[in-house]
Amino acid sequence: MENFSWLAIAPDGILLLGALGVLGAEVIWKPGHRVWAAITGGSVVLAILMALVQWNRVADQGASLHYSGPGVGLDATTPMYVLDAFSAFGGVILYSVTGLALVAAWRLVADLDTRGAEFVALTLLSAIGLHLMVASANLVMLFLSLEVASISLYVIAGFTRERIDADESAMKYFLLGSFASAVFVYGIALVFAGTGTTSIYGATGLVAHLDSSIVVQPGVLLAGIAMLIVGLGFKVSAAPFHMWAPDVYQGAPSGAVGFMSAGVKVAGFAVLARVLAVGFERRIDDWAPALAVIAVVSIVVGTAFAIAQTDLKRMLAYSGVAHAGFIATGLVAGVDGIPAIWFYVATYAIQLIGAFTVVSVVGSHTGGASAIADYSGLAQRRPALAALLATMMLAMAGIPLTSGFIGKAAVFTAAIDAGYLWLAIAALVAAVAGLYFYLNVIVVMYMRAPALAEGPGAAVATPEAGPTDRAVLAVAGALTIVLGIIPWPLLNAARDALPL
Amino acid sequence: MFPVIAFLVLIPAVAAAVVMVVPRRELVLPIGVALSLLPLGVAGYITWEFQKGEAGFQFAEQVTWYEPWGIGWNVGIDGVSLLLIGLTALLIPISLVASTAITERVKLYVASMLVLETGLLGVFVSLDLLVFFVFFEIVLVPMYLLIGIWGSGNRIYAAVKFFIYTAFGSALLLAGILALGIMAGDQTGSPSFDYETLLTLDISTTAQRWLFLGFALAFAIKVPLFPLHTWLPDAHTEAPTAGSVILAGVLLKLGTYGFIRFNLTLFPQATVDWAPWIAAIAVFGIIYGAVVAIVQPDVKRLVAYSSVSHLGFIVLGIFALTNQGLQGGVIQMVNHGLATGALFLLIGMVYERRHTRQISDFGGLARVMPVYAGFFLFTAFASIGLPGLNGFIGEFKVLLGSYLTLPGHAIVAAFGVVLAAVYLLWAYERMFTGPVDKPENSGLRDLRPREIAVLVPIAALIVFLGVYPKPALERIEPSVLHILERIEATTDYEVPDFGRTLELAEEGDG
Repeated sequence: MENFSWLAIAPDGILLLGALGVLGAEVIWKPGHRVWAAITGGSVVLAILMALVQWNRVADQGASLHYSGPGVGLDATTPMYVLDAFSAFGGVILYSVTGLALVAAWRLVADLDTRGAEFVALTLLSAIGLHLMVASANLVMLFLSLEVASISLYVIAGFTRERIDADESAMKYFLLGSFASAVFVYGIALVFAGTGTTSIYGATGLVAHLDSSIVVQPGVLLAGIAMLIVGLGFKVSAAPFHMWAPDVYQGAPSGAVGFMSAGVKVAGFAVLARVLAVGFERRIDDWAPALAVIAVVSIVVGTAFAIAQTDLKRMLAYSGVAHAGFIATGLVAGVDGIPAIWFYVATYAIQLIGAFTVVSVVGSHTGGASAIADYSGLAQRRPALAALLATMMLAMAGIPLTSGFIGKAAVFTAAIDAGYLWLAIAALVAAVAGLYFYLNVIVVMYMRAPALAEGPGAAVATPEAGPTDRAVLAVAGALTIVLGIIPWPLLNAARDALPL
Repeated sequence: MFPVIAFLVLIPAVAAAVVMVVPRRELVLPIGVALSLLPLGVAGYITWEFQKGEAGFQFAEQVTWYEPWGIGWNVGIDGVSLLLIGLTALLIPISLVASTAITERVKLYVASMLVLETGLLGVFVSLDLLVFFVFFEIVLVPMYLLIGIWGSGNRIYAAVKFFIYTAFGSALLLAGILALGIMAGDQTGSPSFDYETLLTLDISTTAQRWLFLGFALAFAIKVPLFPLHTWLPDAHTEAPTAGSVILAGVLLKLGTYGFIRFNLTLFPQATVDWAPWIAAIAVFGIIYGAVVAIVQPDVKRLVAYSSVSHLGFIVLGIFALTNQGLQGGVIQMVNHGLATGALFLLIGMVYERRHTRQISDFGGLARVMPVYAGFFLFTAFASIGLPGLNGFIGEFKVLLGSYLTLPGHAIVAAFGVVLAAVYLLWAYERMFTGPVDKPENSGLRDLRPREIAVLVPIAALIVFLGVYPKPALERIEPSVLHILERIEATTDYEVPDFGRTLELAEEGDG
């Protein structure tokens, strides 16, 4: 246990206590959602603080390996879990996203009555899983973290069970997600077969092994890498593994979709970065072209299908596919692309939460439906909501003076620097096609007359955003604009947030 | 030193924020107009303080923003950008004053105009390519809103087409800029988007060609050059009056400005190789735009197509690669902005009265609106290039300059001047002369004092630049010569002697 430090697991431990605290309090005292809010808020804030302490510690003393133990092919220096700048930064981002998402979902939580506690606890558990993914230094550990995160999300996806499409959403997510997990495990097995280890670091880890030995069966290793990419590609909804996303997003409660989509994107790409760019750095010529193809396919498929959508949540799901492609564009640069990816996922996560919060406010009146037609004339009914959604759309489209532009510039620069100019050009051109559906939302909100009393679900009177919604929207809007004009603090931090 | 350029660019953005919180809606437009006079004042100060005879960038400001990317607030003004800045600062208040017909969502409207001004001014002063791109792209958003919200009939189609069409060009421009920045990193050790640093790079001819293409496509769409012009008639026609004025007056010049500022200097070899071809496309555009303009039944569309023709002249002048051609191109940017801006204002005024823009709906307007007819004819003459008015100076210089290097092009282009007389004067004849045969037209009111006040500054400048263009030209010339020297130094192209020595001798005397 000499290699163990409490600091390394402190944030996750605090969140676990928070999750158990909310559940326990609800079972014993039934105190209502204000007490849950206090417990959750306290634990999330503490977790963020601990992650910042970690960040400082790592900056002062360098990264450290933690929690190793005997196991298959493991010795004392092969850790399960690492504390490095990468995991600390990931912690700050993920917990902040979780906190923001929970505030955004709080109206839903309060409405859910006693089940709200379960929702909060599941979200926190999922956040723990997501962060453990980022910090995992062993593929088996990574798989376990992935499952912790995913299983919680499967339940959240179907949480509003009174809605018909919630069942479809949860079922689809669960079945396809399990399938992807199975592929992922198979990938781990093949990597183990090819190299004899599942650990990334340490004397017998993947990095050391690929550095020092000849891979006897390269085909097995390549198949393993491919399956890892497929499994993670599913989680981050990269095409062609994206089929679940639109249905799941549409059926899941709007208040929760922001977290589902944003958190998984952050953690999923962080894991891809650690496993591929670090673990298989020696094999970058094998996986980078494959990833480049996935990037192009994702961008094209995501954009093309998003254009055809009439439902905002489905459109955002497909746009998420395209965004997965843009982020993958940065990943082809290997370790050099990691700062760009961090910036992109962090700002995109904020945009997603902002956008889905608007969806949840507008949709709260229409039983959770989110037809784009419902937004017609929103600029006249609720100027602030419309302005915010418009900002998010412009940011996702990558218009300058929003964080989305800086993110795109960062990943494309990384790709060009790595010699993938064709990929950057393809992505840039596709991004222009993507403008069509982002602009369409603005067209509907600002340039069409309000669709008063037109058909079922017509937005007769969009409700006002509640105080929690307003808080989230203010934060998301401010961050999106400020990071678009002064991105340096986050960019600088991201440059230091490299994995071991 | 006082950061006058930062001030100039920021005032409209701050003004936009101020306008958004004005409590009473009837105050929004007056306050917007008042605030938009501030940048005009600053631009006036800059024009006054601008040292003529100097080729380099003046009022330069350099602040590094982000070292690892080599990006910073590098700005400066030279003879090419000076007049365009003045034009922008002048046309914004004028179009705001002419916007009293806007009654819906006035706050957003005025704020959009002011944000648009920030974007346009930013483009003209930026010497950091990434910052240039940011301003170049951000211009699209307010213009998109202006067309889409306050436009006429087919506005949404026009707005989306405008945005996506021009953003497509920007995509390749961004790829080119990023590639240049990385190239700077390879050659100097740290990536840089600073224009003057990029000038020192050694770019192979192949790379120059690709980069030239990436930049040129973006600028050609913006200009627009045939056959990339199809967004323009829709956008111009559907935009509200102020939108059309700014679109034609300033926005199109972003393209020609980009050609001069970046293509000519950063990729001189590719420029020299391809100049005749681009000039040929421009000449085709001159004739094509003019011929199509003749047959337009909608007067606003007619002026829109006339822009295609006029911008062809500017591009021809630029790619003639002579002193006169480039000077003519730069001054013609301003001239076209003034004349076409005034034409769109005039069309907007009659549209407010009659709610139609079909030429066939008018006739005999000179009898009911004599002042209006006078202004229209005057502006049309300026646009045609009547000697004594500003258009003549520009077109003459362009034709002279291009005749030195591309005589065939110049001869064909000269027909464009004739065709301009055909489409504008024929339109004038159908709208203004003859009897008043439509009863709707008989009761039309002539121009109000406010409308005259809007037109007078433009008309005065048209006459001034037509009679006494020297102050403008002597500020443009050193910068233009500097560009040509750069091309001569890096390629084996030689500027024809007539294009240089005479003017230099003149300067030595004075």
